[in-house]
Amino acid sequence: MPQHDVVEGLGLDQYKYHFITEDEPVFRSDRGLNEKVVREISAQKGEPEWMLEFRLKALKIYNSKPMPRWGGDLSQLEEVLDQIYYYVRPQEKMERSWDDVPESIKTTFERLGIPEAERKILAGVGAQYESEMVYHSLKEEWERQGVIFDSIEDGLRNHPELFREYFSTVVPPGDNKFAAMNSAVWSGGSFVYIPPGVELETPLQAYFRVNQEQMGQFERTLIIADEGSRAHYIEGCTAPVYSTESFHSGVIEIVIKRGAHFRYTTIQNWSHNMYNLVTQRARVHEDAHMEWLDGNLGSKLTMKYPSCYLVGEGAHGDILSIAYAGDGQHQDTGGKVVHVAPRTTSSIVSKSISKGTGRSSYRGLCKVYEGATHARSNVECDALLINSTSRTDTYPYIEIEERDANVGHEATVSKIGDEQLFYLMSRGMSEEEAMALIVRGFIEPIARELPLEYAVELNRLIELEMEGSVG
Amino acid sequence: MTTATPVIRRPMGTVEGVTGAINRAAVTRLSTEEPSWLRERRLRAWEIYESTPMPTTRLEEWRYTDLSKKLHLDDLKLLVPDVRVLREEEYPDQVRQTMGEDRAASGHLVEVDGAVVHTDLGPELESKGVLLTSLRSALTDHPGLLERLLATEAVPPEEGKFQALNAALWTNGILVFVPKGVDLEIPIRVTRWLSQPSVAHFTRTLIVAETGSRVSYVDEMLSGDFDSQSLMHSTVEVFAGDAAQIQYVALQRMGRGVFHMSTQSTLAHRDSTLDTLNVNLGASVARLDLNARLLGPGANSDLLGLYFGDHDQHFDHCTSQDHVAGHANSDLLYKGSLDGSSRAVFRGVIKVHPGAQRTDAYQTNRNLLLSDQARADSLPNLEIEADDVRCSHGASAGQLDQDALFYLMSRGLSRAQAERLVVMGFLGEVLSRLPLSGVVEKVTHAIEEKLGYA
Repeated sequence: MPQHDVVEGLGLDQYKYHFITEDEPVFRSDRGLNEKVVREISAQKGEPEWMLEFRLKALKIYNSKPMPRWGGDLSQLEEVLDQIYYYVRPQEKMERSWDDVPESIKTTFERLGIPEAERKILAGVGAQYESEMVYHSLKEEWERQGVIFDSIEDGLRNHPELFREYFSTVVPPGDNKFAAMNSAVWSGGSFVYIPPGVELETPLQAYFRVNQEQMGQFERTLIIADEGSRAHYIEGCTAPVYSTESFHSGVIEIVIKRGAHFRYTTIQNWSHNMYNLVTQRARVHEDAHMEWLDGNLGSKLTMKYPSCYLVGEGAHGDILSIAYAGDGQHQDTGGKVVHVAPRTTSSIVSKSISKGTGRSSYRGLCKVYEGATHARSNVECDALLINSTSRTDTYPYIEIEERDANVGHEATVSKIGDEQLFYLMSRGMSEEEAMALIVRGFIEPIARELPLEYAVELNRLIELEMEGSVG
Repeated sequence: MTTATPVIRRPMGTVEGVTGAINRAAVTRLSTEEPSWLRERRLRAWEIYESTPMPTTRLEEWRYTDLSKKLHLDDLKLLVPDVRVLREEEYPDQVRQTMGEDRAASGHLVEVDGAVVHTDLGPELESKGVLLTSLRSALTDHPGLLERLLATEAVPPEEGKFQALNAALWTNGILVFVPKGVDLEIPIRVTRWLSQPSVAHFTRTLIVAETGSRVSYVDEMLSGDFDSQSLMHSTVEVFAGDAAQIQYVALQRMGRGVFHMSTQSTLAHRDSTLDTLNVNLGASVARLDLNARLLGPGANSDLLGLYFGDHDQHFDHCTSQDHVAGHANSDLLYKGSLDGSSRAVFRGVIKVHPGAQRTDAYQTNRNLLLSDQARADSLPNLEIEADDVRCSHGASAGQLDQDALFYLMSRGLSRAQAERLVVMGFLGEVLSRLPLSGVVEKVTHAIEEKLGYA
C-alpha cells in the first residue's frame, strides 16, 4: 500500500472540528435575503431607527453591486446565497457565565477548548454561535480600568454615542458587495474599547461557530484602541462539515489612535464547505501601530485582504499572512496597505502552502498617495507547492504617486527541495518527518508571533494537514 | 561581412482605392486583389473586431489606461500608403540621420507613411535564401509562408479588439525569413517614419528563423510631433525554430500626439533563444502587449524593457511569460524613469502551465521617480500550476539614491551631472543585457536628450 494511503487510513487528515450539535433555535429567518429578513433582524434586536435605515440602505447597495468577477470562483455562490438562512437566533439572551449557557452550546465550546483557554491565557472571551453572541465576559481587572469588551449589540445599546461615532467609518457599506451585505444583515461580533494608556497583558478572544446547515454568519466587529493603549485580539472560527455550502461574511473595523498598538489575529479553520468573504480594515493614526496576523487554513474559498489605512504621520502597519490550501480549497488572501500620511511604514509578509489540488493566491495592494512623503513599504511573498496538481498565484498591485517613497515587492515560489529532503533523511529522519520539519521552518516567521498555545496549535494543524503528502 | 549598398526600389504593392474610413468597406477594398484566404481572414477579423466591446478600465488589462479618454479612433482615417517613389534625398531628415547611424547592417528597410520605400540585403545573404521584404510583395512571392503564419498561431484576431482590427486592416508590413543554419552576424535595421496626423496605421511584422539560424532585428519608429492624434498599431509575430537565436529590438521614438500600440508574440521552440528589448521613449501614449511563449525544453527568453517618460507621457506595459513546456527559462527586466507628470504601468504575469516542470522564470520591474507628479503602477503576477519550479518576481519604486548623488557631488560633479550618471546607471543595466552595437549608443543619446544634457 502506498505510504499516503496508510496515513489516510489512520484518519489523521480529517477535519477535527466536525461535530453537529442537536438543538432548536429560538428564531430563524426565512431562507434568502430580502427586505423582510432585514426588518426582522432589526426588530429581533430592538434597534434604534437609524440602524434599521442604515441596514435598508445597505441592502439597496448590495442589490445594485455586481458579483465580483475576480478572485475565487463565485459562479455557484448566487445559488448558495438564495438557500441559506441569514439569521438564526440560538438562545434568548447573551450570558456572562458559562453556567447559564444552554448545555448543548456550552458542550460545543468546551469541545473547542474555549472555557479552558479563557481560564489560562485570556483577558476576555466572546463566543458566537450561529448569528448571536451567546457568551461574553471580561476579567474584572480590565473592566475596572474602563476596557469595554462586549457583543456588538450591547455596544450599540450601552454605548450609543461611542458606537455611532465610529461605526461604518472604516468600512462603509458601499466599499464592496459583501461589506454591503454585512451592513444589511450583520449580527453578532464584538465591540471593543481600550481606554487611553491601558495595556492589556493577555489577549481578548472571540470564537465563531456555525453549527446549522446552510447558514450564513455575518458578524460585525468594531474596535477602538484609544491613545497609547495596547491590546491583542484573537478570533477563531470553525463549523461542522455539511454537503451543502455555508457562507460567512464578516466586517471588522478597527480605529487605532495616536501611539496605540493593536494586534488582530485570525486563525480561520472553517470546514471545507464554507465560503468565507471578509472585509477587515484598520485606520491607523499618528505613530500608532497595527498588526494583522492572518492564518487561513479552512474554508472552501476565502477572499480576505486585511488592510491598514495609514492616515496619521508615522503610522505603521504590519500584515503577516499564512495560508494553507488543501484539496479543493482556494485561499485568495493577502493584504492592503494604503499610505496617506508622511513617514508611514508598512510591511506585508505572506507565506502559503498549496497541497493536492489546493490553490493559494496572494492578492495585495500597496498604494502610496501623493503627499505620503518618505513612505516605506516592503512586501514579501513565499509560496510552497507540495504536489504537481497544486497551484499558486501572486497578484500584487503597486501604485505609487509619490516620488519620495520607497517600495519593494519580492516573491518566490518553490517546492520542497530534493537536496533539503535528502540531507534531513541522511540524518535519519523519515521522508514525512523531514517534510514536516521543512514546512514548520517555512511557517516559523508567522508561528513565532502567535501566543505559545496558538503557535503549538497552528503547528499541529499544519502537521496534520501535511500527513500523507509524500508520494 | 556584408556591406550593404542602399538600392532604391519602387515601392512595392501599394494599395489603391482606399478612402480612409475605418469600416468593413475598407476591409473589402483592401483585399480586392488579395488571395481568397487573406480576404476571408481579414473579414473574419473584422467581425471579431465588431463583436468585441471596446476595452474599458473595468478590465484588469486596461485598468490604468482609459481608452475612452486616450484614444480618439473615430477621428482617425486609415493611412493609405503613398505610391510615390522616394529617392534617398527625399527622405525626412530624421530618417536620413538615423540611417546614417545604421550603415553597418545585414540589411536595411525603410518605411515612410506605410510604404516600403527601400530594402537592401547583402547579395550573399540573398543567395542563402534570407528574405527581407515588404509583406505586400511577400504576398506575391511567398504566399504559403504567410498563409501559414500570419495572424494564426502567434497573434490570432481573437486575442483582443485591436489585434482583430490590425488583422483586418493592415496595409503593409515586413517579412524576415532566415533559413536553416544561416547566421546573420550583424543586425537587420528597419527605420519607419510617420508624417501624418489624424491617421491610423496598421502594420505587421513577421520574423521566422529556422532551425539553428541566427538573426537580430532592430525596428526604429519615428514621427513628427502632431497636434491631433495618430495611431500606430503594430503587430509582431516572431518564430524561433529549434536552436535558433533571435534578438528583437523595438525602438519607439515617435513624436507628441502619437498613440503607439504594439502587440508582440514570440514563440520559442526547443533550445532556442528568443530575446526582446522594447525601448519606449516617444509617443504620448504607448501600450505594449508582449506574450513570450516557451514551447520547447531548453528554450530561453529574455524580456527586456526600458522607458523614460516626461511631460504627460503614458506608458502601459502588459507582458506574459507563458511556460507551456518544462525545462525552459525566461527572465524579464523592465526598468524606467519617470519625470514630469508622466506615468508608467507594468503588468506582467509568469504563467507556468500544468506539467511545465523545472521552469526557471523571473520577473523584475523597477521604477525611478524623478518628479513629484510622476506615477508608477506595478503589478507583477505569478500563476503557477506546476510544483517543481523556481519562480520569483520583484518590483520597486523609489527616487534617486541620495547617498549616490552625495558621493558623486563630493567628487566634484554638479548635481545635474551626478543625477545624469545615476539615471544612466539605473537604466544602463537593461542595455547591458542586450549589448547590440549601435543600439546602446542610440538609446543612451536619446535618453540624454530627454534629460536635457545632449
